[in-house]
Amino acid sequence: MKKLSKKALNKSFRNWFYGHLTCFSQEHMQTFGYMCAMLPIIQELYDTNEEQTEKTLTYSTFFNTEPQVGSIVVGITAGMEEARANGEPVDDETINGIRAGLMGPLAGIGDSLVVGTLLPILLGIALGLSGGGSPLGAIFYILVWNIGMFLIMRFMYFKGYELGGKAVEVLVGEKANAIRDSIIMLGTMVIGGVTASWINITTSFQMLGSDGSVIVDLQKTLNDVYPSILSAVFVLICWYLLSKKRLSPVVVMLILVAVAFVGVLLGFFNPGLSY
Amino acid sequence: MTINVVQAAILGLCACLSSMPGLGGTTFGNYTLGRPLIGGLVCGLVLGNVPMGIMLGAAVQIVYIALVTPGGTVSADVRSISYIGIPLAMLYVSSVGLDPAAAEAQGFAVSMAATVGTVGTVLFYGTATINLIWQHMGLEWVKKGQLKKLYLVDMVLPWISHILCSFIPTFIMCYFGSNMVQLIKDYLPMDGLAMKTLFTVGSLLPAVGVAILLKQVVSKPVDFLTFFFGFTLCACMHLNLIGCAIVGGFFAIINYNIRCLALRPAAATAAIGAGDDDEEDI
Repeated sequence: MKKLSKKALNKSFRNWFYGHLTCFSQEHMQTFGYMCAMLPIIQELYDTNEEQTEKTLTYSTFFNTEPQVGSIVVGITAGMEEARANGEPVDDETINGIRAGLMGPLAGIGDSLVVGTLLPILLGIALGLSGGGSPLGAIFYILVWNIGMFLIMRFMYFKGYELGGKAVEVLVGEKANAIRDSIIMLGTMVIGGVTASWINITTSFQMLGSDGSVIVDLQKTLNDVYPSILSAVFVLICWYLLSKKRLSPVVVMLILVAVAFVGVLLGFFNPGLSY
Repeated sequence: MTINVVQAAILGLCACLSSMPGLGGTTFGNYTLGRPLIGGLVCGLVLGNVPMGIMLGAAVQIVYIALVTPGGTVSADVRSISYIGIPLAMLYVSSVGLDPAAAEAQGFAVSMAATVGTVGTVLFYGTATINLIWQHMGLEWVKKGQLKKLYLVDMVLPWISHILCSFIPTFIMCYFGSNMVQLIKDYLPMDGLAMKTLFTVGSLLPAVGVAILLKQVVSKPVDFLTFFFGFTLCACMHLNLIGCAIVGGFFAIINYNIRCLALRPAAATAAIGAGDDDEEDI
């Protein structure tokens, strides 16, 4: 009965924690980080180089997910690899099926919970502590984010290892869907809050009467309709271009540059700054 | 304020560590060193004016608070924002003699960072493309059974990509930064069309970041109502983000409980049945 040592697991986790995206390319994304994370596991479980090579190649298929939450997948496959080394019926298809099946759902959770909710909140607090150029906010963020994330990722990794193949039931069952949808719901709300709090798109368009008095102040009118409506409108336009027109973010940004240029020419936008 | 060789080299090194597929790892590299607020602290320490670095970094951070890179698509390059944009803005602000807390100084920092951040996406794609070479070599090595070389591929060879695409551009831009800042000042007056456009782009760009996030979480039209619920909490009811997250968490729990009830139709019916029996007993 083979059992992975704490040392191998820790090394595997560290490889993932540090190396999951150090060698990124559009073609392989996190694949090489994944293989590095599995290497200590495979080296401990199998003795001959042929076996090790064969098992390592299992993990050479494409992998990409939200890496913080995704460390649970690495833990799961470590558990499954251990089961396979002990002669349980686990083949390449099972392992890669689980990896492929978890990539999408976990990316959804991670993007809405970690980068969509946690990061903006922590950065928001840090910005609040940075008044007058105080380094307190930055230090707060460095400590809380790094220590917190290390512990969370470590917990996820070892939880995944403990559950092994059983984790799939926990992560993709009906109940898991309910949890995921609820988390994404929370994330969507906070993203709405981020839009309102941190995006500030305003117009300077005004219609002046012949005596120079302001007849229509568009921004004020819009605020009466719905506060910060322009910020929401621009996010929706960008969303439409990205997901319905399938444009790349770079193209969308170029469109925004054109919009800004025309808007400034027409007097719709005016940041009102001078040297 | 000027940037000497050593300072430019330190900033270049930070750029290598912090970029999106960065050598500092995602947690410490991209999500810590790469954030403009932290970049502001580092630039302030390196250039010897921490309060100015933080103030300009914080202004830039607001623009990029929702900057994420789902699916490997980037809308802005963090290494350029934090280690080219902020140092150049600091040079400029100190050479003009602006107060870093003033709107003009912060506005300049934002537009500078937005410009280099957008142009800098080239560096992102450059790094990723060069990494392809190492990965193809790596796959060959693995097939031959040279497994230890995986570490070389994942953690050592990408340094070459980063020296080419992060260190050298950052070093050059920062080292010759004073000249560039002078050029910008001479040729692009702040009330001119180009600078006005730049500032406006700076305020529009965060919409792309949020839209990328939104693309990940919106699967059906009704999800937009959830988005506007959060938006309304902050825009109309002036909650801050923590308050918004708590209200959101509360609704998430309600949603979860409802979904769980729906999952157990048999058990739920049985429970109702049992309830009826009790009433009959009374």
